[in-house]
Amino acid sequence: MHHMLWIKNGIVIDPKNKIDGEKMDIFVKNGKIVEESEVKKDECKVIDASNKLVVAGGVEMHAHIAGSKINTGRTMRPEEMRVVRQTANKLRATVGRVLLTSPAIGYEYARMGYTTAVEAANPPIGSLHTHEELDAIPILDKAALPVFGNWHPVLKFVAEKDFEKLKAFIVWALERTKGFGVKVVNPGGIEAWMYGKNCRNLDDEVPGFGITPRDIITSLIRANEELDLPHSVHLHCNNLGNPGNYQTTVESIKLAAGFKNDKRQVLHVTHVQFNAYGGSSWRDVCSGVEDIAKTVNSMDNVTIDMGAAIFGHATAMTGDAPFQFVLHRLLGAKWSNKDSEIEGGAGIVPIMYLPKNPVHALQWAIGLELGLMVDSDKVVLTTDYPNGGPFTEYPYVMAMLMSKKMREKELEKVHQYVQKATNLPAIDTERTLYEVIHMTRSLPARILGLENKGHLGIGADADIAIYNINPNEIDPSTQYEVIDKEFRRAAYTIKAGDIIVENGVILKETWGRTFWIDARSKASPEIIDSDLNEFFNYYSIKRRNFGVKEEWIRNPERMGVR
Amino acid sequence: MDKKSREDGGEMMLILKPKFDFEVSVEAEITPDLAEKSLDEIKEFKVWYGKEVKKLKDLFEIKKEGDEKKIILDGDFSKVKWIGCGMTEGEIIVKGSVGTNCGAYMKGGRIIIEGDADDLLGMEMMDGEIIVKGNAKNLIGCPYYGDATGMQGGKIVIEGNAGNYIGEKMSGGVIEIKGNAGDFIGIEMKGGEIIIGGNCGFVGADMKGGVIKVKGKCDILPSFKRTEEGYVGDVNVGGEGKIIKI
Repeated sequence: MHHMLWIKNGIVIDPKNKIDGEKMDIFVKNGKIVEESEVKKDECKVIDASNKLVVAGGVEMHAHIAGSKINTGRTMRPEEMRVVRQTANKLRATVGRVLLTSPAIGYEYARMGYTTAVEAANPPIGSLHTHEELDAIPILDKAALPVFGNWHPVLKFVAEKDFEKLKAFIVWALERTKGFGVKVVNPGGIEAWMYGKNCRNLDDEVPGFGITPRDIITSLIRANEELDLPHSVHLHCNNLGNPGNYQTTVESIKLAAGFKNDKRQVLHVTHVQFNAYGGSSWRDVCSGVEDIAKTVNSMDNVTIDMGAAIFGHATAMTGDAPFQFVLHRLLGAKWSNKDSEIEGGAGIVPIMYLPKNPVHALQWAIGLELGLMVDSDKVVLTTDYPNGGPFTEYPYVMAMLMSKKMREKELEKVHQYVQKATNLPAIDTERTLYEVIHMTRSLPARILGLENKGHLGIGADADIAIYNINPNEIDPSTQYEVIDKEFRRAAYTIKAGDIIVENGVILKETWGRTFWIDARSKASPEIIDSDLNEFFNYYSIKRRNFGVKEEWIRNPERMGVR
Repeated sequence: MDKKSREDGGEMMLILKPKFDFEVSVEAEITPDLAEKSLDEIKEFKVWYGKEVKKLKDLFEIKKEGDEKKIILDGDFSKVKWIGCGMTEGEIIVKGSVGTNCGAYMKGGRIIIEGDADDLLGMEMMDGEIIVKGNAKNLIGCPYYGDATGMQGGKIVIEGNAGNYIGEKMSGGVIEIKGNAGDFIGIEMKGGEIIIGGNCGFVGADMKGGVIKVKGKCDILPSFKRTEEGYVGDVNVGGEGKIIKI
């Protein structure tokens, strides 16, 4: 490892620090970005970045990369595992078409210039498994979001309106699961699923608790804000995947009104593509993006991510077990029902998005509409991997957002249904390189509360991506093919000061950190001691066996909350 | 092969003969396209012997003669896998028995096996013809593990007996077993036709469409309705497949 780097003459785009296409040098020492005066230039390893784009390493804020869901997906889809990506050399052998093995996930993100990724739904009982698998992903810095929205103690404290206990429980749970934030999947709906039902509207009653999804969401936002955790509540809305569900999404977004945080949003709504359908059935389904975009744009405390659908193979896997059952019946594809413990559920169904299928074409169009109609300061680029498709197609989505010409060309290939059911053909917006870099770096880092990620300011982690693109010369509107090609293979990916990728080739394997949030300074779990004992009387495992110790994780990084 | 290409004289018949008794299995994706190549290219063709990469000439005696896009495999090929995998045209004649995965993903042409066939014959086959003069083992015209559809077209004829799992999830084409067969015939079948000349075990579980004709005895599941034509089901999945006694 070169402990000092000098990245020379690169053209920098760094939205957090308001730098747009400036030619400048960047200096790295001990894995951090430092002032020029701090390095000895003759000892630096010099990287010539002339005429190249220099940006922060990409930040993936919502993907399913580790844990019981993706692993069950791999088990039930041997056909995915028949695609050999590379045989073992100095790196690990990797397989997988869309569902990748753990090393492949690290390598493929790094190849694209991504350096941080967050597992978006960790069933608490599977935390150890999730962390073991995160530990098998090389290169990246990682974190996992445990699911809270259907966990019995949460439902109980919400029903009792006992916010002190709710906060104490969140603190306890984040510490035990080594989790990063409060993920909420179909609040109340999965509890209802255990009775064969679902909560499709915000005011449906959660069986046995006398509360509604509305109560759960608002209580968790309040608790999360009072604890002042780095990340906000991360919500997968009720009624996912059903025509007409955009109204539920709009109502859910409005629940954030009244909450305020100076540093970040108070509610992040995830993979909105799956929650943005209008109409009343699959026959008249249409895009509901317009209303959602209007609502998000009018509020200053909500962000979303796209959950874009990519044509080709994918595997639907969410903690939203009832929806997965609906999908299984709809497609007739194989289905696995998972994790139906007292804290959540999950389902897995293979899917293939076809351009000539009107519904799939609609989903594809809605994902792009979200990226174009919502303010670029409020929407993050994701495919909800592997639900909407492979993350390796991000460059395609970036190019599509930047070029109307490319969209027109792609629209010719898809089912004509999108012409009347969406606004996509009429949208003239073309995102700039600056905006797209923001949507993949600085914005997700800000949303997650990772201050040292997603930018190139002094003190930031030296996670840097360099691409063979000259931002001052390229016209993405017409040269979309260059964008699509070059973002797939970084000229350099630098992780914590280490040169990992050169011209799209992985040079070596390193091991990143796993972030977790310790908020014990904010609330003491002692006040819920008896509640926990009662809960564990009926739980699958004993209290002393629940959770993950810090020393079991390869490189844990505790993030304290002041 | 049509007459025109014969006159061109560009295509040759290829004869392969094992040089020794193989101790471990050989993976050789030999298709009739190989016969079109020059002898030098053929000799260098990459095959696997166990975990080692070898050249075709290391394992087989190679002879090129005649004028057809045709391969003759002379000898015991029962340890050679993936013969005719994905082939589109031409002919392969196996003088002895053949190993697993023969004719997998086949799209056209013909394979004639004069001996026996091993497991996984004609898996996910799209079109073409496979004729086995001897017996065949399990998994004929099925999908590979995990895939949703098995055989989609073409014809497989087994003149002897066959094992279990025949035409699982198949959606088209014909499988004819002239002798007896085992259990799980046409399980989750969607279309196409299976003909069993002798006796067999359970047929048609969870079938949605297609026809299974059985000459001898077979076990019918209780989830099939008896009609004048034969048995219709499987009612468990709202299927309209037919089992007909002939």
